[in-house]
Amino acid sequence: MQYELRPHTADVGVAASGDTLEETFAAVAEGLAAASWDGLEAFEAPNDSSARFDVTAVAESREALLFEYLDELIYQRDIRLELPVDNRIESLECVDESDDSTAVSEDSAATADDSMSASAVAIDRWRLEASAHGVSLESIDAREIKAITYADMRLEETDSGWEAYVVFDV
Amino acid sequence: MGLAGEDPHMTETFDADGITLERVREYVWEMPQTGDMRVPARVLASEALLEEISQDRTLEQLRNATHLPGMTKHAICMPDGHQGYGFPVGGVGAIDAENGCISPGSIGYDINCGVRMMRTNLTYEDLQGRERDLVNALFEAIPSGLGGGGVVETDVDTVEAILERGVDWALEHGYAVEDDLLHCEDEGVRAGADASKVSEKAKNRGKNQIGSLGSGNHFLEVQRVTDIFDAEVGDAFGLEADQIVVLIHCGSRGLGHQTCNDYLRKIERHHSGLLNQLPDKELAAAPAGSQLAEEYYAAMNAAINFAWVNRQLIMHRTREVFADVFDRSWESMEMELLYDVAHNIGKKERHTVDGEERDLFVHRKGATRAFPAGHPDVPRSYRDVGQPVIIPGSMGAGSYVLRGGEHSMDVSFGSTAHGAGRLMSRTQAKQEYWGETVQAELEDTQQVFVKAQSGATVAEEAPGVYKDVDEVVRVSDALGIGDKVARTFPVCNIKG
Repeated sequence: MQYELRPHTADVGVAASGDTLEETFAAVAEGLAAASWDGLEAFEAPNDSSARFDVTAVAESREALLFEYLDELIYQRDIRLELPVDNRIESLECVDESDDSTAVSEDSAATADDSMSASAVAIDRWRLEASAHGVSLESIDAREIKAITYADMRLEETDSGWEAYVVFDV
Repeated sequence: MGLAGEDPHMTETFDADGITLERVREYVWEMPQTGDMRVPARVLASEALLEEISQDRTLEQLRNATHLPGMTKHAICMPDGHQGYGFPVGGVGAIDAENGCISPGSIGYDINCGVRMMRTNLTYEDLQGRERDLVNALFEAIPSGLGGGGVVETDVDTVEAILERGVDWALEHGYAVEDDLLHCEDEGVRAGADASKVSEKAKNRGKNQIGSLGSGNHFLEVQRVTDIFDAEVGDAFGLEADQIVVLIHCGSRGLGHQTCNDYLRKIERHHSGLLNQLPDKELAAAPAGSQLAEEYYAAMNAAINFAWVNRQLIMHRTREVFADVFDRSWESMEMELLYDVAHNIGKKERHTVDGEERDLFVHRKGATRAFPAGHPDVPRSYRDVGQPVIIPGSMGAGSYVLRGGEHSMDVSFGSTAHGAGRLMSRTQAKQEYWGETVQAELEDTQQVFVKAQSGATVAEEAPGVYKDVDEVVRVSDALGIGDKVARTFPVCNIKG
């Protein structure tokens, strides 16, 4: 797996790739850490697994799952006051292969939809379990990534695996 | 790419990568309605600024924004526009409140990111020789950077009170005085805020960040007034040459970012029909009148209150720091709020369109409200001269105070620019500048004292990465949407 930070006028983009979807997701997560902290490259996460924490995400599609996963990492960062690094995907699966259009949303807001909206889709078809090592924000000189964006987001299967591109709002 | 025609003064069209703009009049360029555009788009800029605006995807994003249902008259790009995600930064979109939509990404991730300016009765002379003490004391007292905490660190119940009551909450808890509320839009309390529409996640992120600058382009600056361009309005704003003022630039922190993303995702799931008609996923919009449109509006209003309290707490802490450093009460230094302006905000407003009164959701993303003299929404104390507009510049270029211009309602739905606008990516900035060098140069050549959590931030925010704020303000003034009142220049700057 690998990632590379790319310039974007006001923000930062990360291009990542991996042999599998799991590796690619983890590479984007490392890109998020790298965009937050210049010291990441020189950092070696300890083997001590007690310092790791779990991250889970669910979503209606692969792309949305990547968005939810990264959003959760930012949330955990703010709550734990730790930068998630050494990101690993423990499992990533699609639990229901049925067509999107037959699925029903659990969210009550769907009932208020008017004619401009199409059918809602199952929000938890795709599931991910991940873990990360938290580096105390107090101990490092990190800067804030405000949010994950959908701007130019790509997640594509290639001959050799997967490629992803995500822009972070700084 | 470039200007057509032989004489630049006679230029009638501007071509940029397949997008052609026609000059309507000086500083007003129109992108005609083609394809699925619902209305034309306009760019308010000089040729020099337009040349910069055309370098990235701003114009393409502006064109995409015209696809939003209910977009009225034209989508507009301010003189400081640059590429954002979905809607360009520096974008104004007035969207029909009955038949249109509301688009969280077209308001921005940092809901109610904005600027406030506080006056003092100190002069630059009073401060000279003590800059170092002051910048250190401010940096020490005001939370900044990632994970730096807040002036108040509390629980979800308190966050909810702040979300619904805005600066009223700060007043009750001793972080504000009555006069502060009178000099803030909506008197510091946005009506229609519903804390229950803000997620637990957002509240959890907010509870340790109340009264914090964050990082990126956010900062607190002690400035001196260098120029007064309009003595009468300057007087009404309480500004005079050599006076010390404080400028605070920040927003709703993690709570606002989370709220924006929560609703982007909800809209994606429940209004995919509309989303599929739009050229960019980041433009995701909830149809006017839908449950999600109502819920987002109530949540956004709550986040607006949170941001006002955030800036209020920072301002109040600044008063205490000044009292400490100058060893006298802040009241005796007349440290009063001049005004607080939001530049990432959506608001239901009444505008006259082709002679007809209409309710519009005005989306201002990187654009500042600039209501003219006489408008009922301008605070009483400024109603005769127009709403104060604060345009923060970069560390080396100074900032401006404008007043809402007499043509703003006709030209830009009562809006003007919000800053200098970035010219260079953060990645490139770090290659071109070194934080410590930038810092030393600012101090040695311009007597600007900078203190930051991160050297990288100083490099990324170096004066050279921004457009020429003077030119942005000149165009605003010439168009009569925001008139020049005063210019300020930094003395101390703290950032994340």
